[in-house]
Amino acid sequence: MSFNLSTPLNTALLVYILYQAQRIFFPPNQIPEQTPSEFKSAYSWMPKLHPPTLLFTTFTPKTLEPYNGKDGGRILLAIDGTVFDVTAGRNFYGPEGMYGNFAGRDASRGMAKQSFDREMLTDVDKPLDKLQDLSPEEIENMRGWFEHFSSKYIVCGRLVENDAI
Amino acid sequence: MPAFADALVTDDLTILLGLVTASIFLLSNLYKPQPLVHPILLGRQSDVSRVRNPGESAVYRYYGTGIMGRFPVRPQRDVHTLIDHIKPGVDAPRTLWSTKITNNQIRERVIHFGAGLRRAGLKSSSNVLLLLNDSLEFLITDLALASQGIPSFTLSSPALLAPVLDVHPPTAVIIDASFLPHALEHVLDSAEAAHHVLIVLGEPDAQTTARAARGVRLVRWPDIEEEGRQSGVTELPAPPGSESVFTVSFYRDEEGNMQAAKLTHENLTAGVAAIRALVPPQNPLTALDTVVSAHSLSTAYGRAIAYTALLEGASFGTLEGTKLYKSDINSSPRPLDDLFTTKNLSLPSATMLFIMPSHLNALVNAVLERAKKSFIFPVAWRHKLSGILDGHVTRESLWDRLVLNDARVAILGAVAATLRGVVVSGGPLPADLLTPARIALSIPLVHAFTHPISTAPIFASHPHDLQTFAHALPVAHVGPPVVNIEVKMKGVDDAAIERGEDPVGKLFVRGPPIGRLMDDEDSTTENEGQEPWVATGVVARAQTNGSFAILEEGS
Repeated sequence: MSFNLSTPLNTALLVYILYQAQRIFFPPNQIPEQTPSEFKSAYSWMPKLHPPTLLFTTFTPKTLEPYNGKDGGRILLAIDGTVFDVTAGRNFYGPEGMYGNFAGRDASRGMAKQSFDREMLTDVDKPLDKLQDLSPEEIENMRGWFEHFSSKYIVCGRLVENDAI
Repeated sequence: MPAFADALVTDDLTILLGLVTASIFLLSNLYKPQPLVHPILLGRQSDVSRVRNPGESAVYRYYGTGIMGRFPVRPQRDVHTLIDHIKPGVDAPRTLWSTKITNNQIRERVIHFGAGLRRAGLKSSSNVLLLLNDSLEFLITDLALASQGIPSFTLSSPALLAPVLDVHPPTAVIIDASFLPHALEHVLDSAEAAHHVLIVLGEPDAQTTARAARGVRLVRWPDIEEEGRQSGVTELPAPPGSESVFTVSFYRDEEGNMQAAKLTHENLTAGVAAIRALVPPQNPLTALDTVVSAHSLSTAYGRAIAYTALLEGASFGTLEGTKLYKSDINSSPRPLDDLFTTKNLSLPSATMLFIMPSHLNALVNAVLERAKKSFIFPVAWRHKLSGILDGHVTRESLWDRLVLNDARVAILGAVAATLRGVVVSGGPLPADLLTPARIALSIPLVHAFTHPISTAPIFASHPHDLQTFAHALPVAHVGPPVVNIEVKMKGVDDAAIERGEDPVGKLFVRGPPIGRLMDDEDSTTENEGQEPWVATGVVARAQTNGSFAILEEGS
């Protein structure tokens, strides 16, 4: 048997063994300067961003109208003075959706009468729809849709008259 | 070609080295202890609401409860009032301070004392000022008053005695004999003193007794219990509703004004539910535990800790530093001496400590000073720290056996072996104390934030959280809100939040453990039928992982 340490393979293996032994007997104590932002890279990590939150905003019909999803942005609609963020339901309320008419508008009358026609919507220049000529069942229907939206989508604002702000 | 072949020449040494390399590689990759809690959970400790009002932050809740979840209001199904924490069926004795007593005996004494109080002339419209030190008699008095529906007043410091007697004169005062000389002047001066009943625990000196007997009706505490026993009452009266106020806790807020927190039975059961959730769920509090608390029973949090221990059937005791009412009211023991005052009680060895940062500081420094005497301490420290940076710490490692256990036993005595959890609250915890504390104690350490308005801590960190950051704040973070409290911050900078910075603002809280202030100035009701948000007066900052840090208070 010959013990020849000068062969490169032996040297390489020996170096690796010494390195690992050094790590076992003198473990690293480095706390990284830059806090990692991934849990895979280190135990002590901090996410880079806070969870996103929406600011509760007061909208008028004119300021609500741009949020109809046509430019790929947020989609909002209003029922009974409360504005919902329905971006998650782009399939329904986006420009190509079945209920796309409601995007960016006050949908209260449409929800009450269970109709998606354009006649249900009021012009953005006109005052808000007072819903006075609706029967109690229709108001009840609208309330039901309000509850459905409250649980499925995010309440992110309220709707007031054009001159209220 | 020949050079290449030369390079790869192998011999027996290569085989040997190759085997060693392979085994080291396998061992170091497979035999790595897992973190005690997965880091992914520590990155999302709170559940955050999706919407926030202008000028306010979002609403934060404990991640396990969730924004849509319901808050736990009681620790178990049939615990509605204070006396329900003493279960009648369980008959195993446990030690409360120095007395070994069973649940049935406690209930019996509570029934007798309550009957005695009624015979002494107290009614449900009376108010009783409790000036007792933490002891079994305090608990019996508290339980008796609560089950009779008589609200009690407690003070967080004896200096509040004069203002409280001025503004809210009580009908009766239950006082410790050593404090009686100090308090007598105030009590006699306050209105309607002649109608007052003064119940004294202990034996005051003859001079004080004579003075007191001239102005007010003086009765001894054991006599009340004896009268109740002789009255033949064996049943508790009808239980009060869980929303009825059982105590009003007076304290000084950050600006120095006196505040009064009205606590209901529901506040206390919710506080007990939250405190039970502080310990790791794999090892909950049981009847084998001994809880030692540094928080006086005259505070909301101290009460809740005591009732948590009572509910679980654990033994309970408090440190000497909780004594508010003594002859020398300005003296308080040094933190390290205070920790060992339970040796004077016949309590079993403590397993859970609820202490303050000063106690933790003194304890950790003492243990590490002792451990430094060993010459392998630097290596032990290095190994323990590398374990902590990987997220795991244990008391049974090689380095504990070689170095740290001796130091712990030298300082703590028998408690070193039985201690299994520490909850620190009651003041800011310096961030550079965290790593030494984790290494010195090597048990789950929870850092919490408490406020006199709440029976539960408002924030509490995860018991296995061992994260260490290079540029942390000078004060240790206090973790997410507890299971049944939601928080939000007001007065935040909207533009800063939209940029992605941490929200910083005045802390407002809401939830079952939060009591109501006597004068509801700062609370606001936002929706009909919902509880109002209560101002705490402290400034808090939310970090991206959902944990909070309490910045300088009161600004």
